[in-house]
Amino acid sequence: MSYKIPMGPYHPGLEEPYKLDMICEGETVRDAELHIGFNFRNIEHLAETRNYFQVIALMERVCGICSFIHTLTLCQAMEKLANVEAPPRAKYIRVIMAELERLHSHVLWAGIASKLMGFKTMFMTCFALREKVMDVLQAISGNRVNYSMNCIGGVNRDVEDPTALLALIDDLEREMTRTVIPIFTTSSTARSRCAGIGVLTHEKAVSCAVVGPTARASGVNQDLRRDAPYAAYAEMQFEVPVEQAGDVRARLFVRALEIMESCRILRQALNNIPPGEISTGADKFAFVTGTATSRVEAPRGEVMYSVSWKEGSRNPARVHVRTPTFANMPAVRWMVRGARLADTPLIQASIDPCYSCTDR
Amino acid sequence: MTLITALARLLIFPGLVFAMPAAWFFLWVERKSVALMQERVGPPFMQPFFDFVKLLGKETPPRTGIGGMLMRAWPLIAVSAAAGAVGLLPVLPSSGGFQGDLILLLALLELPSVCIIAAGFSSRSIFAEIGSAREAALSVSYNIVFLLAIVSIAASQHTFRLEALAALPATPLLWLGVAAILVCLPAKLHINPFSLPNAEQEIYAGPMTEYAGAELAMWELAHGLEWVAGVGLVATLVAPHVHAVWIAACIFIAISFAVVLLLSVLAAATARLAIDSSVRFYWQCTLIFAVLAISSAILMRFWS
Repeated sequence: MSYKIPMGPYHPGLEEPYKLDMICEGETVRDAELHIGFNFRNIEHLAETRNYFQVIALMERVCGICSFIHTLTLCQAMEKLANVEAPPRAKYIRVIMAELERLHSHVLWAGIASKLMGFKTMFMTCFALREKVMDVLQAISGNRVNYSMNCIGGVNRDVEDPTALLALIDDLEREMTRTVIPIFTTSSTARSRCAGIGVLTHEKAVSCAVVGPTARASGVNQDLRRDAPYAAYAEMQFEVPVEQAGDVRARLFVRALEIMESCRILRQALNNIPPGEISTGADKFAFVTGTATSRVEAPRGEVMYSVSWKEGSRNPARVHVRTPTFANMPAVRWMVRGARLADTPLIQASIDPCYSCTDR
Repeated sequence: MTLITALARLLIFPGLVFAMPAAWFFLWVERKSVALMQERVGPPFMQPFFDFVKLLGKETPPRTGIGGMLMRAWPLIAVSAAAGAVGLLPVLPSSGGFQGDLILLLALLELPSVCIIAAGFSSRSIFAEIGSAREAALSVSYNIVFLLAIVSIAASQHTFRLEALAALPATPLLWLGVAAILVCLPAKLHINPFSLPNAEQEIYAGPMTEYAGAELAMWELAHGLEWVAGVGLVATLVAPHVHAVWIAACIFIAISFAVVLLLSVLAAATARLAIDSSVRFYWQCTLIFAVLAISSAILMRFWS
């Protein structure tokens, strides 16, 4: 006999409100339906009522975890419309902030995944590690969540002493290699909860057009930092980790390896940051009529902004956001089919969903 | 065992007067030690007691009909059974007991689990029902190892009297039995890696989802008493036989404390297993333990 189990919109296993209705037979999930929209804030419309300074502060509030990425993508699109280019030092600072945010997001995700496995010690370890990343972010920007770093034509704050941050990056990498990665890879209970669970095959990943670590864990070799470099990524040497298994463990591995690569990128950026201005210094911009798009590799995958402007206007005519969770969430249905009920919270979390971004 | 000694054991030591503070103490030790392992501060010493008192003061939802009566009855039965199990433990030397009290102890130890299953199904919540189904599947799996362990120790001594088992010298079979009981305790006490019936990220509070107030306080108390009975059983089996009452009581408490710490370390170091992995684990344990128990029993017979 099949029965329906609602997971959400308010559930201990979910960070944010959304709903997964699961049709189960015993402990096996036969099908699932996803419902979103519980976090709708009408931000895209509000953006049309804000001028080009205010809209940056507004779009930073789309997401609490990847707030920098949203303003970076928006500013890059607006820079195209205003025909402005950020100075090289600003591009490096953008890379540093983006990678720190990736570290923050991935470590947070590892903590959430641990909690969903019932591994609370690991959750505490990951969150203690996340605090260190947030300390670095605070040291640079003065803020822990909404950094207010981006502006049109550069960044608002400089990294005063880049080499001083290297010790923190070393410390972070050491903790990851000594604690988090070995426990996730060697703990038999953690392994039994991840290996072979929530499989998304390569074919299905391509047909669902999933992005980010979810795609890379299913063998889709894509990363905008390498394929369509922005900011100063063209000058960075790094690998794009790709796994073939497509299960939760592969997604975990991809993120763990990305953390190591982020540390590598951060070291390069901090050591080679060029001297110079951090922004163009302009406070008045002449936007041309048209639509500009910008794509950035956020921690969860590709974020795309499409910004339309009418010449002479201070406000954007339209700001459209496409978030990685929007691309990844249809795949959850395929991942949970045939899975054990106990694994569904972890499977849905393995795409690292952000419904705050998706609903906006 | 006279009526007075039986009542004294049930109500005073090691019964309710001792067992209730011990239950709260063990719950605190478990929470505090896990917190310290996770670099947290953890709860203050009196927290489990405060939780109990606070829950007692809360309003319980009105329940009608037979279902409501049953829902109110299950936690009380669970508390009584767990308290009875603690009362039967031969903590003090020459404290009485009767032939067959081991069988009663096993039944009383199992009753809270049966009550949890029944409570989940009585509450008619889908999450509670899944939790109860998990508890039932888990109970069927770990109880075979648990019963096999105790019965093999008892059978080797040709007695079902707890006091005789408590006075047993350390034999390989006894240690094997104690190891098997220790393997079963995490499932019996719903702690990691077998915290499936109350996996909050999956099914909220499982069978307890619909409970609140004084009824939930009773479940918490029953859970604490299960801790005392479970670790107390291990303590009585491994404690050395001494005649001084105070030393025997201190040894009992010290060993219980050590077992609680051991279980807390296990809970802190593991993730939660899924139901099929847990069931498979216990059936594999059953097979291994059965082979070891039979071979050690044969060897012991040859030696004797």
